Amino acid sequence: MNQKTIFARFIRPSLAWGVAILFFFPIFWMVFTSFKTDADAVKPEYLFLFTPTFENYVNMTENYDYWRFAVNSVITSVFATVLTLVVGVPAAYAMAFDPGRHTKDILVWMLSTKMLPAAAVLYPMTFLTKNFLGIFDTHFLIIIVLSLINLPIVIWMLFTYFKEIPKEIIEAGKMDGVNIWGEIKDIVLPLAWGGLASTALLCFIFCWNEAYWTVRLTTTEAATLSKLIEGNRAPEGLFFGRLSAVSTAAVGPIVVLGWFCQKQLVRGLTFGAVK
Amino acid sequence: MTSRTLPRLLQAPAVLLLLVWMLVPLGMTLFFSFIRYVLNSLRRPEWTTPSLDNWRGWGNYEYVLYQAKDFWFAVQNSLFIVGSVIVLTVGLGLAIAVLVNRAFPGRGIVRVMLISPFFVMPAVNAVLWINMILDPVLGLNGLAVEGLNSLVTSLQTMPLLGGFFSLWPEFEPLSFRATQTSAIAVIIMVAWQWTPFAVLIFMTSLQSEDQQQKEAAILDGANAWSQFRNLTLPHLARPIAIVVMIQAIFHLSLYAEIEIVSRGNGNKNLPYLIGEFASNNIGAASATGIMAVVLANIVAIFLLRIIGKSLMD
Repeated sequence: MNQKTIFARFIRPSLAWGVAILFFFPIFWMVFTSFKTDADAVKPEYLFLFTPTFENYVNMTENYDYWRFAVNSVITSVFATVLTLVVGVPAAYAMAFDPGRHTKDILVWMLSTKMLPAAAVLYPMTFLTKNFLGIFDTHFLIIIVLSLINLPIVIWMLFTYFKEIPKEIIEAGKMDGVNIWGEIKDIVLPLAWGGLASTALLCFIFCWNEAYWTVRLTTTEAATLSKLIEGNRAPEGLFFGRLSAVSTAAVGPIVVLGWFCQKQLVRGLTFGAVK
Repeated sequence: MTSRTLPRLLQAPAVLLLLVWMLVPLGMTLFFSFIRYVLNSLRRPEWTTPSLDNWRGWGNYEYVLYQAKDFWFAVQNSLFIVGSVIVLTVGLGLAIAVLVNRAFPGRGIVRVMLISPFFVMPAVNAVLWINMILDPVLGLNGLAVEGLNSLVTSLQTMPLLGGFFSLWPEFEPLSFRATQTSAIAVIIMVAWQWTPFAVLIFMTSLQSEDQQQKEAAILDGANAWSQFRNLTLPHLARPIAIVVMIQAIFHLSLYAEIEIVSRGNGNKNLPYLIGEFASNNIGAASATGIMAVVLANIVAIFLLRIIGKSLMD
């Protein structure tokens, strides 16, 4: 065996496995620790060998009201994703198939709103929603805010998907007398279905993981899982088991969801620039 | 121009919503940044309501820039964190993407493992790393150093080599809770989360690399490094630009990680500094906010110049 095949057959795979294990280790450790009691979790002698317990998960649902936070996360993320798509699809559609002189500027401007530091506008937002609109700590507010912060990325992604649909197909449809809704429903959506699904998914993931606005614009009613994590991080060290269980339950669904759609995510995330 | 009406109508909701989202809070922030506005003041109760009577001109900006000493440190630290994370993720991302670009047993599982950190909630990421991994006493960091020390102690009792090991110092675990080290902790955890993102994108891009060109290069006797430098790297120019841009967008407004890792220990970036001011001095917080917006826009213009053009083709 020459040097090259040794590398290809042994060294490359073991290096790759090593790196993958290293990167996955913190997640594994979190799940692993969630089955230890708080006392065992900090004892070196129980580092790898211990009696697994579901105590933390039982405790989490009984004392932390996990399900309320989880339900809030689901409600806000689902509705925010739907709202973002309802607003984003027509806009991206018009930009891709009927671009005007300013389309490019509008797209760049939209993306630039993502760079607005949230901390800079937090106080006005709290002030407005609490004192004027009275919608502080409501699902409605969180859904609107999540939609707004994800709208630029969603429009960009959809725009790149739509742009890949050949214009001729649309033209042919127009010739046959299809109106605009028929055009979207019967021609564009079936063709852009994959792109639409991955956009929705990514939007959902970003909504689920959002931790700035959801923590600061809620108290109890609309508080999501990020708020639960923020609230439970304080007691340093002593509650590793509990902390791990809550964390595992908070990120579990989304990590599994991510596994299923990793391939589709790439094109969306790169605005179609990487093929 | 009736043909333009429909596209405009379709875009209108999105444009209007984003315009309101940008202008209303931004307008209020701009207004607050020019007045004296605090949440609690026993001495000057009139300052607790926002009003034009409390006009302060550039006073808040002068206060933030010259009197409150943390502003420049926060700017520097923001850029340090964003810059380090970008360098780390692009470097590691390239190496890992090239590594897993060939088929090998279990590649699918390796890919799933590698990509997982990207989906973890930032708050969980921070809590997990700072407590369970980096903590100098209870975390794996502390346990590993403790284990190493006890190993050295037991080696000292060895007959011949014991003398050698007794010369070793006792190891101290690194604490990640001081100002500078906690910035490093933040960089580690953010890089851990975003390297998978870079890997994912570079990996996809590598699959479209021109294999014939590569084979020709091999026939010409090009070694692996020069293949990488002269063929792969230029091919990845655009994906790299995209990874840099998206990360700059996300990391300039980094907050959860800083808050969880560095509460009160002096490590701060601009968003965190704004948060600190906002606990009472809304005027100063708003002035800092406006300057953060300006900084973000400078970075944005710079980045969009570089890649904005190619994205539209």
